[in-house]
Amino acid sequence: MPTLSPDDWKALSPYLDQALAMSEDERVEWLRSLGHEDNVLAAQLTELLDEHKVLAQEGFLERGQVSLPTSSGLAGQTLGPYTLISQIGEGGMGSVWLAERNDGRFERRIAVKFIHIALMGKDGEARFKREGNILGKLRHSNIAELVDAGVSRAGQPYLILEYVEGDSIDRYCDQQKLDVEARIRLFLNVLDAVAHAHANLIVHRDLKPSNVLVSRDGQVKLLDFGIAKLLEGEGEDGAATMLTVEGGRAMTPEYAAPEQVTGGVVTTATDVYALGLLLYVLLTGQHPAGKGVRSAADLVKAIVETEPTRPSEVVATTKATAEVTTSNAASRTTTPEKLSRLLRGDLDTIIAKSLKKNPQERYASVTALGDDLGRYLRHEPIRARRDTLTYRAAKFVRRNRTAVSLATLAIMAILAGSVGTLFEARSVRKQRDFAFRQLSRAESINDLNSLLLSDLAPLGKPFTVDELLSRAEHVVRRQHSGNEADRVELLISIGRQYTVQDKYEKARQLLEEAHTLSRPLPDSSTRARASCALGQALSRGADLPRGEALFQEGMRELPDEPMFTLDRITCLLLGSEIAQNRSDAKEGVARAQAAERLLKQWPYRSELLELNTVLFLAAAYQDAGRLPEASATFEQAAVRLTALGRDDTQRASALFNNWGITLTVDGRPLDAERVLGRALAISRDNQGEQTVSPMLLVNYARSLQDLQRLQEADDYAGRGYAKGLQTGDNMVIGQALLLRASIYRGLGDLERSAQMLAEVEPRLRRSLPPAHIAFASLASQQALNAQARGDGGAALEFANQAVELAEPLVNAGRAGAYYLRVFLVRRSEIELQLGRRNEATADAIRALNQLQADAPPGTFSSYLGRAYLALARALDAQGKRDEARAAAGSAAEQLQNALGPDHPETRTARRFSSDPSQK
Amino acid sequence: MEISSLIIAAEKGHAPAGEELFAALYSELHRLAKRELARCGFGVSLSSTTLLHEAYLDMAAREGPSFPDRARFMGYAARVMRGLIIDHARERHAQKRGGLFEMTSLDTQVLENAVDHRQLVQISDALDELGKAEPALAEIVDLKFFCGFSFAEIAAMRDVSERTVQRNWEKARIYLHRKIRSDLIL
Repeated sequence: MPTLSPDDWKALSPYLDQALAMSEDERVEWLRSLGHEDNVLAAQLTELLDEHKVLAQEGFLERGQVSLPTSSGLAGQTLGPYTLISQIGEGGMGSVWLAERNDGRFERRIAVKFIHIALMGKDGEARFKREGNILGKLRHSNIAELVDAGVSRAGQPYLILEYVEGDSIDRYCDQQKLDVEARIRLFLNVLDAVAHAHANLIVHRDLKPSNVLVSRDGQVKLLDFGIAKLLEGEGEDGAATMLTVEGGRAMTPEYAAPEQVTGGVVTTATDVYALGLLLYVLLTGQHPAGKGVRSAADLVKAIVETEPTRPSEVVATTKATAEVTTSNAASRTTTPEKLSRLLRGDLDTIIAKSLKKNPQERYASVTALGDDLGRYLRHEPIRARRDTLTYRAAKFVRRNRTAVSLATLAIMAILAGSVGTLFEARSVRKQRDFAFRQLSRAESINDLNSLLLSDLAPLGKPFTVDELLSRAEHVVRRQHSGNEADRVELLISIGRQYTVQDKYEKARQLLEEAHTLSRPLPDSSTRARASCALGQALSRGADLPRGEALFQEGMRELPDEPMFTLDRITCLLLGSEIAQNRSDAKEGVARAQAAERLLKQWPYRSELLELNTVLFLAAAYQDAGRLPEASATFEQAAVRLTALGRDDTQRASALFNNWGITLTVDGRPLDAERVLGRALAISRDNQGEQTVSPMLLVNYARSLQDLQRLQEADDYAGRGYAKGLQTGDNMVIGQALLLRASIYRGLGDLERSAQMLAEVEPRLRRSLPPAHIAFASLASQQALNAQARGDGGAALEFANQAVELAEPLVNAGRAGAYYLRVFLVRRSEIELQLGRRNEATADAIRALNQLQADAPPGTFSSYLGRAYLALARALDAQGKRDEARAAAGSAAEQLQNALGPDHPETRTARRFSSDPSQK
Repeated sequence: MEISSLIIAAEKGHAPAGEELFAALYSELHRLAKRELARCGFGVSLSSTTLLHEAYLDMAAREGPSFPDRARFMGYAARVMRGLIIDHARERHAQKRGGLFEMTSLDTQVLENAVDHRQLVQISDALDELGKAEPALAEIVDLKFFCGFSFAEIAAMRDVSERTVQRNWEKARIYLHRKIRSDLIL
């Protein structure tokens, strides 16, 4: 493809202007007539316009992802003694070309693989060639030979390889319909090759079906041996290998071993793992991680945490998998049942041993694996031991959840299907911090941080956040030169990330260090931030007094000058959280408001800072139980997110979740359902329900229940429950159960409702202190069930329990306040049924007073509506007809706005207010 | 020397002023980016557009009414932004100390969008070539690709229609694509 000379371009440019302004049809016509006048020009233009179509499809320069144009114009170019013939394909790391020797000598077919990575100058090139040489010494009939590794004049690295024609091994086996035994025998050839390479101290690192080809005459050839290592950047010693890269994007690491994915050391055991995986696929036709499109993050989690299903089990037919399993078995010339029997026992064991997460538990060598397979074929006992039950029991790596003590539980608790994230301090923090994390997908060039992130990771390798943080730390520590202030700043940054990740110990460690190092520095901005950041981290652990003290210290550091405004804002926001963690919700709000005021005065605009401030403020309001303000602030935040063009991001989803929660608790289920629905929609994001948080599902279910859309509510609650079980999230499970109890009661299925409550009680008892408000909720649910059963006495007992548990918490300043009101209203209804009219009225009035005290005028809440309705009924029973009607009228107004005009409760209230005989 | 005077001198064709202008803008943007990231460290990222807005406000406030308007400023700043981004990408690839910016947000998802600095350099070189023939086109690429401005914003800055901007963008893409492809030669 000839380059465009400046003259060419000059000539073509005005024509391009015209062409691009036309429609497709016009253009065709125009080009044709142009062709009559000057057909060279027309030809050139056509070429360019065709190229334009290609680049548009490639998304060239769009969205910050630079996909280099494909170099199909290389045909005929020479590369040393070779001439390129035609492109064979796009390999994992670059394009692959067929080539031949240009001196006419025919030895064998050659493939040239261009590698799209950046070499680090002369040293990098030398290293590349050297490594290539080492790999080139590998000679085995089952290994595709690496003939040469070089770098072109233009700095383009390439590999000259023996050209291999064949199918990937899994396809070959399926096409030839090889049975289990034949597959194993073929597989043993693969093992031969790998063993040979290991004997020469070369690890493949990237074994997978597409790298194991089988030619038509049945000969196995392994490709890309050790090339992954060749392509590593200037990493640290023993750094994990790069996973296959495609056009700059990491491919999903389906065949990666756990240590590759977590950055551990790659050894021959890594190849054993990959071989085990390959065997798994060959024998079962499935991948242990299961079906379905997975995000790289999901896959990584599966690789590192999930034990693979036994081959004999995975090939067995279930209702859902019949088609797949039957066809897989057929490719192995057998049936699912027979296949399962074949695989059960020794083959299960052999594969399991190859796939152990811990490399040291796998086969010590490829030869050992081959030996056991050989024994299997000869019907001799294998060496590997079966997994004992106890081993298999230790499955999931549980995420470390430190117990939340009552003291740090600044916010409320679980309730009947309620708003869990609001009530578990850690989750609130998580949600909020999550909201702060930048997860905008569309941007990369536009967000400089993304460049920072890729700073630490070799191309395409998915690190865990932990891994990144510790590498970052590493980088910081290695700096001997550079000024202290910068180092402290870095430590603060990293430390704060750990805080965001709830890695309390690590955060504390780093921030303590940052704090100490910052003391002698002259820069008060750095000192202040070091103090406040440490304070925040400590306030999340148990050292609340010190956290507060550090905040005070930080604030004192800052001189009263405008140039420190930003620092002051930062510190105040951190201080807001510290106050919340100390259960001083009021102070939390005060500090966040102060930060907001300062921000308004600041002459410069930073949209992102404004957004963050608003989010902190909303959280502070939420914590203080000032729900209407929280709600309004969330709304502001949502508007800002939209303005920043980020309202479809994960951060936005978290925002909407928190907002939705606030609305629910504020008794505005219509709004809540709308907002939470939005959160769900964002969170799903074309990946189905994989990415949706179970808590969000439950929250959404709750809002549906409030709107009496019970079947839908049940559906979502069930899904949230199932997910919660999967992840072992007790909070979610507990809330889902309580909510479902409520839903079943609404559907009239008291038995199931009772079942749910029975199931949830031991869970609560296991994980919470006895004075926790969750038990009050449980009691309240029991009361409702008893009431539905007609057992007034038991209902009252439970209702009393609920109130009695809630009262002291409210008096102690905990935000159990609005639950108390709900309990009071429910108790009022129960008392009324038992004929205790005075008590019923008293409770209803008490609830009303509390609710009204908090509600700003003009707001509507379902709780207020229900309280009015309860009062109306109680008054009516006492013979106070007029007051009853008035109360019912207020109830109708509230419920109409909060629940909608068609909601059964609204209708009841309306009927009552017009005709008191209809209660 | 004040940025505004440098701009005037550069526009008069005074080459050294042009280089000084670049250096001055570069260090301004660098400083601002550092400051923003250090202070807004809630795990939030910084966008080029925001940075440029801030830079403009900052400098305009400092230098007073003689400072050129946003549109003109952006023309220069956009080019500088390109340099900043590429330098940063280069530095971090060389794993030097921290690179240009500190780390704030750490998220594995964003890794999927990692860009190879070598590709950026290729684009930049091609852009420089384009800049010789049609500087307006190169500027659009700087503004859109490196600085994240939208077609509408660019149209407003250059006082042309959005359609014109779009068309020029496509033209520039064709040029760059062709240039980079043919440079892939060995």
